[in-house]
Amino acid sequence: MNLGLKDVHHNLGRFIMTAAGVAFLVTASIGMIGLYRGIVADALLVIESIGADLWVVQGGRSGPFSESSAIASDMDRRVEGVAGVATVRRFVQISQQFEHEGRSHRASLTGLDYPLDNGAWVPLVAGRHLKSGHFEAIADRSIGLVLGERVRLGLDEFTIVGLTRGMVDMGGDGLLFVTVNDAASIAQRRTSEEVLLARSTAGRSGQGSLSGSSVAQDSKIAAVLVTLNPAADVASVRRAIMAWGDANVLSRAEQQSLLLDQRLWRLRVQILAFTSVLLVVMAIVISLIIYMLTMEKRHQIAMLKLIGARNRVIVAMIVEQAYLIGAGGLALGLVLANIIFPYFPRRVVIDPGDIAQLGAAMAVICGFASFLGISRALKVRAQEVLS
Amino acid sequence: MKGEPVLRVRDARRHYVSGDSVVRALDGVSFEINPGEVVGILGPSGSGKSTLLLIAGLLEPPTAGEVFIRDRCVSSVGADLDSLRDFRRDNIGFVFQKANLIPFLSAVENVALALEIDDVPSRPARAYAEHLLESVDLAHRIDNLPTRLSGGEQQRVAVARALANDPALILADEPTAALDSVRGRQVIGLFRQIADTRQAAVAVVTHDPRVLDLFDRTIELRDGRIVAEKPLSADGNNSLQNATAAQDRSQ
Repeated sequence: MNLGLKDVHHNLGRFIMTAAGVAFLVTASIGMIGLYRGIVADALLVIESIGADLWVVQGGRSGPFSESSAIASDMDRRVEGVAGVATVRRFVQISQQFEHEGRSHRASLTGLDYPLDNGAWVPLVAGRHLKSGHFEAIADRSIGLVLGERVRLGLDEFTIVGLTRGMVDMGGDGLLFVTVNDAASIAQRRTSEEVLLARSTAGRSGQGSLSGSSVAQDSKIAAVLVTLNPAADVASVRRAIMAWGDANVLSRAEQQSLLLDQRLWRLRVQILAFTSVLLVVMAIVISLIIYMLTMEKRHQIAMLKLIGARNRVIVAMIVEQAYLIGAGGLALGLVLANIIFPYFPRRVVIDPGDIAQLGAAMAVICGFASFLGISRALKVRAQEVLS
Repeated sequence: MKGEPVLRVRDARRHYVSGDSVVRALDGVSFEINPGEVVGILGPSGSGKSTLLLIAGLLEPPTAGEVFIRDRCVSSVGADLDSLRDFRRDNIGFVFQKANLIPFLSAVENVALALEIDDVPSRPARAYAEHLLESVDLAHRIDNLPTRLSGGEQQRVAVARALANDPALILADEPTAALDSVRGRQVIGLFRQIADTRQAAVAVVTHDPRVLDLFDRTIELRDGRIVAEKPLSADGNNSLQNATAAQDRSQ
């Protein structure tokens, strides 16, 4: 006779409420771990998807993700000439806030070096990739734009030709893909006063501009993405570019390491620490629940001992209930997490490996809770039936 | 009664130290109960009845003296009673004032549990539990939870559970206290029947004068000592019952 199951069946409402309480803690834990995974996934999204072997960034810097980077606008031509380089693309990413239909939107404007790159590496959920060098955009759904919509960015209107899902930067802003040239011109938008002041300053100093403009033009190109020939010697390509002095070269792995181990290090530790706190709270709560359930059953445990039940009968009842509460809480928590987290503003990744680890942690917690309950139950004396 | 005694308590003492004084809950009690015998243990509150039941039921060791069950010395000073759990299960059945049924098990499951913890497979355990419940007139209530049973029915389930392992000794502590006189007599009548049919020895601690005529013998305790041990008189009464009846008449 399975006493644990019988008790659960008899007190089903209380069991469900208890499991629901545990489930909320599990949901919170899944959320914290998922948020951590989501931040990492978002941060690495572009680096992993864009398909570059090397990133050529501003000299002496480790941009463009872990710190700012601005390189000469013709750097891509120079890099293209290095032996072993197959293709180059310019990369721009700028945070942008804009008004559309009376609402404020945020986006991370990301440049595609059209026509070399029409965004084919960007997974679409609707529409198409870029087919024009100007005034077309692919937007992530999180920005709030719809297919075919026209949106004013800088001085021009852009048509949304494609939609993505889950393409965000490490801050959680949706990516808005336009061509590099459009991204640069949006970033270089100035007010009339800024233009007049710049011209006035240029006139007094007598300086001209290489671009032929009377207004200084800062490059908005953050990096050059390099794809190497299969037989290329990475070290020699790196050495050749670094020798120029105005450029730094980072591999994909270095970019990932810079992001995870430098830029996001404190955030990761913070989330992991908070997850640990949650697990400790969960352990305490489950242990208390099992202990209280055992205390409630003191009379029945005494009766079981009186009629000669062996300790294993009592131990099995406590262990079964602890693990039923744990398993129920885990299952319910997982269901809740799958229902709730898709509506969260930031990506929450529910990774099967993490759930397995959480399950293992839950098993340890239930084991500890059972131990507390059992140690109390074994102290119950049969004659307590008479009290 | 015939045969060797099922329960033999020899010079049992139970002393508790309370501050500077010693409480003599039981002070040199010796008695025997034979197979097929139903013995009433009587006495006022604090006379040591329940302590005697705990010692006889191997739930507390005596401070001095010995307890023999079926001629085997099973408890004495400093005995590890937890190790006697298996022996208790196979040899002693308990019934209390409260039925103490497991609330989440049905009547038949409460009885079958006593068998299953003795490693009887669940199907035969249930079948025998049903048979036991039939024998206490509860065939129609086997699947009811304790909360759906009356006090008398719960007590009969507890009796069926006490009988499950066919014990040689049944110890009952105030089993009729929460029942009306009809139900109370039914329960003691059940013990009488069990003693007759199974040759079990039954010891019943009671205050209830309405059931005294159903005992073969009464043992009266006071201040931890046996002050009277009386067999049932020929007319079915004993002196204590007569005294109680006289008191009732005078009131």
